[in-house]
Amino acid sequence: MILLNQLTKRYGQQIAVDALSLEIPAGQIVGFLGPNGAGKSTTLKMLTGMIEPTDGSAKICGFDLRTQPVEVKRNVGFVPESGAVFESLSGLEYLEMIAALYGIPQDAARLRIRQFLTFFDLSFDILTDKLLGAYSKGMRRKVVITAALLHNPHVVFFDEPLDGLDANAAVGFKALIQTLAREGKTIVYSSHNLDVVERVCDRVIIIDKGKLLLDGKPDELVAQHNSGTLEHLFTQLTGGTELERRAEDFAKTFRS
Amino acid sequence: MSTPPIDAPPVMNPAPSQTRTLRKLFLTLYLRGRSSRGIRVQTAPKSVGKKLFLALLAYTLFGLFALALINKPVFALAIYAHSMTFVFLGMFISSSAGEVLFNKEEADILMHRPVSTKDLLWSKILVMIQVSLWLAGALNLVPLFVGVYSSDGGFLFPIIHVVSTILEALFSTGFIVLVYQLCLRWFGRERLDSLMTMTQVFVAIGAVLAGQVLPQLVLRYTKSGQLNFRPDTWYIAFFPPGWFAGLDNAIAGHGDHGAWLLAGIGLAATALVLWLAFGKLAHNYETGLQAMGETVSKPRARSSRRWTEILATLPPLKWFSPVSRASFILTTAYLMRDRDVKLRVFPGIAPMLIMPFIFLFQDRQAMEGFGAAFSAGFLATTPLIVLDLLQYSQQWQASDIFRAAPMSGPAQLCNGARWAVLCVLALPAFILTGFIVWVAQRNVSHLLLFLPGLILVPLVSLMPAIMRRGVPLSLPNEEIKAAGRSVKMMGVIIAAGALSLVASFAFKMGWFWWFILAEAAIATPVYFGLLALVLRLKWKPIE
Repeated sequence: MILLNQLTKRYGQQIAVDALSLEIPAGQIVGFLGPNGAGKSTTLKMLTGMIEPTDGSAKICGFDLRTQPVEVKRNVGFVPESGAVFESLSGLEYLEMIAALYGIPQDAARLRIRQFLTFFDLSFDILTDKLLGAYSKGMRRKVVITAALLHNPHVVFFDEPLDGLDANAAVGFKALIQTLAREGKTIVYSSHNLDVVERVCDRVIIIDKGKLLLDGKPDELVAQHNSGTLEHLFTQLTGGTELERRAEDFAKTFRS
Repeated sequence: MSTPPIDAPPVMNPAPSQTRTLRKLFLTLYLRGRSSRGIRVQTAPKSVGKKLFLALLAYTLFGLFALALINKPVFALAIYAHSMTFVFLGMFISSSAGEVLFNKEEADILMHRPVSTKDLLWSKILVMIQVSLWLAGALNLVPLFVGVYSSDGGFLFPIIHVVSTILEALFSTGFIVLVYQLCLRWFGRERLDSLMTMTQVFVAIGAVLAGQVLPQLVLRYTKSGQLNFRPDTWYIAFFPPGWFAGLDNAIAGHGDHGAWLLAGIGLAATALVLWLAFGKLAHNYETGLQAMGETVSKPRARSSRRWTEILATLPPLKWFSPVSRASFILTTAYLMRDRDVKLRVFPGIAPMLIMPFIFLFQDRQAMEGFGAAFSAGFLATTPLIVLDLLQYSQQWQASDIFRAAPMSGPAQLCNGARWAVLCVLALPAFILTGFIVWVAQRNVSHLLLFLPGLILVPLVSLMPAIMRRGVPLSLPNEEIKAAGRSVKMMGVIIAAGALSLVASFAFKMGWFWWFILAEAAIATPVYFGLLALVLRLKWKPIE
């Protein structure tokens, strides 16, 4: 479903993504992890056609990212970390506009929007009465998630999707992505919330400085490295050492 | 390894076309603004419609100036109408094009959708042209009818003037898009933001200049009833409004060779600009759009990062509180670096910086010294306008930290912002204008006429704080009230004019130093009184 071959992004001398190669089959939920600045968001932006790779290639649903970007985009859904929306549209106007961009007629779009509203436990009035600028962060995130899934894509990329969602919505969302995966959709889930990744994902990919560090099932990786938890494994791999001592030093600053 | 292509998700028909959807989207965004806070959808379109109607009405009323040109030649009327149109369109397109064409957040919303950049570009351009035509139409409504009664005009004038106005709108939009594309092509993404800002500022200033200079020429020449494109008025060929006025004159006026030449230049320039902007260089837009989605940027040079900090360590800022110094650095940083703030502030004060120059060059024939006095009086009000504009920011929510900090009121913040505007804008503007006065009039004694304006600067700069409008970057952009600012500008012009008139009269009569003494005697206690009031200001409660 997703195939990366030496995918690279350079900004001048700086390498954001360094020859990343991997394959993700249909129906898999993949946790895409890395510390800040590791190249996760750049990779996701390349795979969604938002930025052009400097080198290498990628295929999504058999479509080449470089030569068939519109076909790739038609098959992917993306929830960006920023959660950006056009704030001066109402929720309904926004979602109908997104639906129209995928060629979904208004009636069909409304039907799908209502299904998402039921899932997120929202009323239709909220979607029509307020402009998106007046929504809470969680509400806005729900609209962004709906906008990513409205066209029933084969591959969905989530970049910190739980940011702003309340506990109930987060639990519901986790159930949703598992259901989507069972239906054969490929989910790439980028997050710093390692507990959730450990529980939800079938596979974990860890990158740092644009390079692939680890790729495998979470429990197997944790066992192989004898780390106890995915969180410990992550800090071991990405240089998060002596965190307790550093915290103690930091606290000392305020004692004197 | 490769996977066979999978059919795209089933798509039902009919759905609105992408281009139509995008056009509707960008028009809505233009009319409502890019963001909103707590606005209910029922009130949004109504208020926007009303706002648009009022704006168009104001433009139509502005077009009444054409009544002064009844029975004048077609060329005189047309050049005036096209100059005004050029100023307003230039200001509108230059201030909105950057935001419309390269909105940063838009990349996260639209760039991963199956939309071609060509469709994106065209949808945006069509919306800009549509709104430009509304504005141009409103502004030219009265001139259309006045042209019928021109000394050499007739019923052909309205038709050809509509055509030339459409061409002018196309030229203006195409030219600005072209400038961006050339910036992208030559300078790349790293400098895109600052170049776009600079471009917009210069285009706005250029539009104001072109719009102000040509009407001045018209006024000068129409006294004799004659204005034509001839060897001695060759410079008209360098002003785009002159080309489109030439087209009006060629077909609806007396149509001499000069008019046809200007019309030819206008048509050729418009065709060339449109071909380059929307055809030849359109692919640069895709590059630019993708660049907006990229997050890596060059580190800033150490020297350019620190000059504001150095300035803050020098007197008088050295003696200020740390809060005032921090506010000074914050305000200076936004004035120099923030695209949104620069795009609002610099085009906003462009007329203030240009108009005095026009008075100066007229001064040789007009009242002695009035130009210099008016320039200084006008510039003295710069802090009022700039501090008002500086209240607004896309990052206004970050200003919550001001209220969270242990301060009883905004006085120190206002003070820092005030000094930033004085040091970075007002002082350099005075020095530059002083130099121009010296060059234009070769009379050093006229520099004394700057004193009445200079004395007012500290007092005027306190006004925003007194009106509780002096806290920098603390309000959302949606609360900007352009109409209110226009009224303020008008008030400022009248006040500056009155002061300058009295000052130049006193100068002529030999009472100048008495006048300065009286002004200082009034301004000083008022200044300290206002300062005391500002220091006692408490935070305005948040609704």
